[in-house]
Amino acid sequence: MASMVELRGVTKRFGSFTAVNDVSLSVMPGEFLTLLGPSGCGKTTLLRMIAGFERPDQGTVWLDGTDVTDSPPYRRNVNQVFQSYALFPHLSVRDNIGFGLRMQKLAAAECASRIEEAVSLVALEGLEDRKPDQLSGGQRQRVALARALAPRPAVLLLDEPLSALDAQLRRGMQLELKRLQRQLGVTFIFVTHDQEEALTMSDRIAIVNRGRIEQLGTTDEIYHRPVTAFAAEFIGQANVFDVQFVSAAADGVRVRTNTGLQLLMRSDRWPQGKGKGRLSLRPEKVHVAKEPIPAETTFPAIVEEKVFKGSVDHLRLRLPEGSELLAIVANQSALIARIHRGDQVYCCVHPEDFVVLGET
Amino acid sequence: MLAPLVLWLVAFVVLPMAILAVYSVCQRDELGRVVFSFSWDNYARVFDPIYLRIFARSIGYAALTTAICVVMGFPAAWFIARTSDRWRQRLLVLVMIPFWTSFLIRTYAWITILKGDGLLAGMLHYVNAISAPLELLYTPFAVVIGLVYSFLPFMMLPIYGSAEKLDGALIEVAYDLGCGPLRAFSQVILPLTKPGIFAGVLLVFVPAIGMFAITDLMGGARVPLIGNVIQNQFFQARDWPFGSALGVVFLLLFVATYWLLQRRGAVGVELR
Amino acid sequence: MKCLRSFIAVGLLAFTSLASAEELNLFAWSEYVPQAVIDGFTKETGIKVNYETFASGEEMLAKLLAGGSSYDLIQPPDYIAEALIKHELLLALDATKLPHLKNIAPEFLHMPHDPKQAFTVPYMVGSVGLVVNTDVVKDPVRGYKDLFQPKYKGRIVALNDNRELVSWVLVTLGLDQNDITAANLAKVRPILADWIRLVKLFDSDSPKTALLSGDVDLGVVWSGEAARLYEENKKFAYILPAEGAHPFVDVLAIPAQAPHVAAAHRFLDYVLRPEVSKLISDEFPYTNPNLEARKLLTPEQLANPASYPKLEKYTTFRDIGKGAAAIDQLVTDLKSSQ
Repeated sequence: MASMVELRGVTKRFGSFTAVNDVSLSVMPGEFLTLLGPSGCGKTTLLRMIAGFERPDQGTVWLDGTDVTDSPPYRRNVNQVFQSYALFPHLSVRDNIGFGLRMQKLAAAECASRIEEAVSLVALEGLEDRKPDQLSGGQRQRVALARALAPRPAVLLLDEPLSALDAQLRRGMQLELKRLQRQLGVTFIFVTHDQEEALTMSDRIAIVNRGRIEQLGTTDEIYHRPVTAFAAEFIGQANVFDVQFVSAAADGVRVRTNTGLQLLMRSDRWPQGKGKGRLSLRPEKVHVAKEPIPAETTFPAIVEEKVFKGSVDHLRLRLPEGSELLAIVANQSALIARIHRGDQVYCCVHPEDFVVLGET
Repeated sequence: MLAPLVLWLVAFVVLPMAILAVYSVCQRDELGRVVFSFSWDNYARVFDPIYLRIFARSIGYAALTTAICVVMGFPAAWFIARTSDRWRQRLLVLVMIPFWTSFLIRTYAWITILKGDGLLAGMLHYVNAISAPLELLYTPFAVVIGLVYSFLPFMMLPIYGSAEKLDGALIEVAYDLGCGPLRAFSQVILPLTKPGIFAGVLLVFVPAIGMFAITDLMGGARVPLIGNVIQNQFFQARDWPFGSALGVVFLLLFVATYWLLQRRGAVGVELR
Repeated sequence: MKCLRSFIAVGLLAFTSLASAEELNLFAWSEYVPQAVIDGFTKETGIKVNYETFASGEEMLAKLLAGGSSYDLIQPPDYIAEALIKHELLLALDATKLPHLKNIAPEFLHMPHDPKQAFTVPYMVGSVGLVVNTDVVKDPVRGYKDLFQPKYKGRIVALNDNRELVSWVLVTLGLDQNDITAANLAKVRPILADWIRLVKLFDSDSPKTALLSGDVDLGVVWSGEAARLYEENKKFAYILPAEGAHPFVDVLAIPAQAPHVAAAHRFLDYVLRPEVSKLISDEFPYTNPNLEARKLLTPEQLANPASYPKLEKYTTFRDIGKGAAAIDQLVTDLKSSQ
């Protein structure tokens, strides 16, 4: 299948700072792709190059099979929802939403019906005549969305559109955006620094770090198979160990951390003949019990800290040889109520839960 | 809280205008003192074709000045508002610097530039651009230069105020939604800087109608504008009541301009 | 600016009157009283002088009538002094306190504006005449008719004073320059309309500037300005118009309500002293009416044709009362309909 958006070897510098460094990326029609990364990583610059607000210093931008590198934004069938919403303060909700349609010189009747459609899509009925300063944050967000969608762009770009909303509204909008995207079949490219947002909505996530795409994959791949420590730690949380190869056997590969902890992991994960490596272990994969567990990799540990997080508890454990381990325990079990700071517990990890990381 | 403001308004706005209004319906004695006997004669004289023509010409000069100020001031103010922080401060200071010296000194500086053996003529002769003597000073052209020069900052500063407040993302949205540069200007930039433009028009147009020093100094006092006529009533003709009547009509003209602009856009917001 | 200056002056007045030191509030033409004269007076008498300025006789009159009762000494032109005397707004001078009045040449005493010589002291005398840049203008110019020629269009500077303009046409027509009647103004109108079209600029404050810079080559100006031009370059000839020149006498007088009458008399007599009056001539080369002072001037100063011209017809301006408004309307009309 031909890609809807394609970046080929794109580089963008601002003075001596390289914001985007030789990035290639391909986005399929109808896909919901998220560019996830910390602030300053280059994700917004990537988006702006797709929109046409920035011109790459090297490389090309393709939209639906056409090279648009030198096309201005108004010649690209791409619309953007801005972080600040950027609603026109002098125009009503209706005129804001109809702005792009007017520029397309559609017939008045067509315009009106498309506006009506967009208004109902984002459930703003009855607010058409208001000015932006008479709307709540969530309503403005919807107007911005409807305005960008009304001209029926092939691709919708969203630059942290939910960051100004409160947590509850944000969760609601996440689901709504996902629903809209499925319903309309429009390609969405979404920029965020919020990993939860990325996991909730995306088909695929591109983890962006220092101007490069560190990992591109489905939400599942990104979460369960992070390829770098950055990816592992940026999505969710991770225990990361630098290890040395000890021995290989039928039940798996044995490795030793630099503090001396012995770990057993699946042998097909460990690269053949490698002496050193870096492992990631998700904290929710660490099983905690009050009594010893009959399993291969079990160690006693002291609970140094217990942080209540609502549905889960975070436990900071100290292992006998001195290393630290983070465990996340669901709050549903009766067990967690019996664990307190300073208690002796036993934890166990399974060989298949270790992921080998590459270099960043 | 309000009392000091009311006092201030009465002392500096209401009272002088009331005096002006009273004088305008009075007569004068031989020496030029105001004699309190009611008559509309002064107003009848204001509407003599001589003075109507001068009013019309004054409005024409002011309108031309205002138009040139908008055309020159908008791009400059826009550029300053959109440039980097560091440069913006410096450029704003440049706009303000002329205010640090007296208006008369600045006008004389222009005379030095434009006069027959002045800077401009010297430069043009030096590069052999002209051979005949330069006839710029003491022409209507010089008056317009002087007016534009004096009032340009009053146009630029309010436009700068509007332009600086304008969120750059709005222009990107316009581009994004299919506006070319021209339509982005007419659909987004112009409507959003309109309050600044209107405030600038008010600040330039009204004082420009009444300006008299520039017509005297740079125009050679050849073509009187309404400001000159009013000034003459006090300093040459010894006719304060007529001068007051002209002043009252001029004031009404200002009120009418303000009212018209207010109806067209939110001038009030910007001026407050 | 002027407003601000008077504001500051008023503020200073309020302040100094509190201090109760003796003082004198002088209201005079801008650039007409040398600082050396003021300083010398203060040094000798201890009286502090507050010098406030005006730019036209009418401006002075306007400010005086608007309640300037704090002025001790004013400097009106002759015809304004006449009006002030007529309306009893001047204080009769105490001749015993003015022993140096005898220095004034007799032709400048008992003039029509103050026939009894009871209210005014002549300060400086001047005339209005023609200046010609003889390097450029080769044809002889003897009077207004020679100067206001179409060939000189755009090369003339004239005083920005409506009464002066009208008076030039009146004398050209052989009429009395002080006879401002509707009939006379009607006769003036067509000629003045032609003349105004020829003028490049009207300037009363510093008409010499445009002549010096070469923007114009001919002018009708104050004799003091012409004298300065002559000092600068002998090519600027000063000619008294053949049709009749009018001299003007600027006088000093004490307003009826002056608060410091004694100090004002002391200043008047001080200025009448030959060595003081000479200082004025040095800086402002008008005709000095003080014969004793003239003796102290250099031969060059006395030889300046603009400072000491030969005046034959000797008619000064007289008060014309409301006629000023009719003149203003006429000139405004003519200027604006070119």
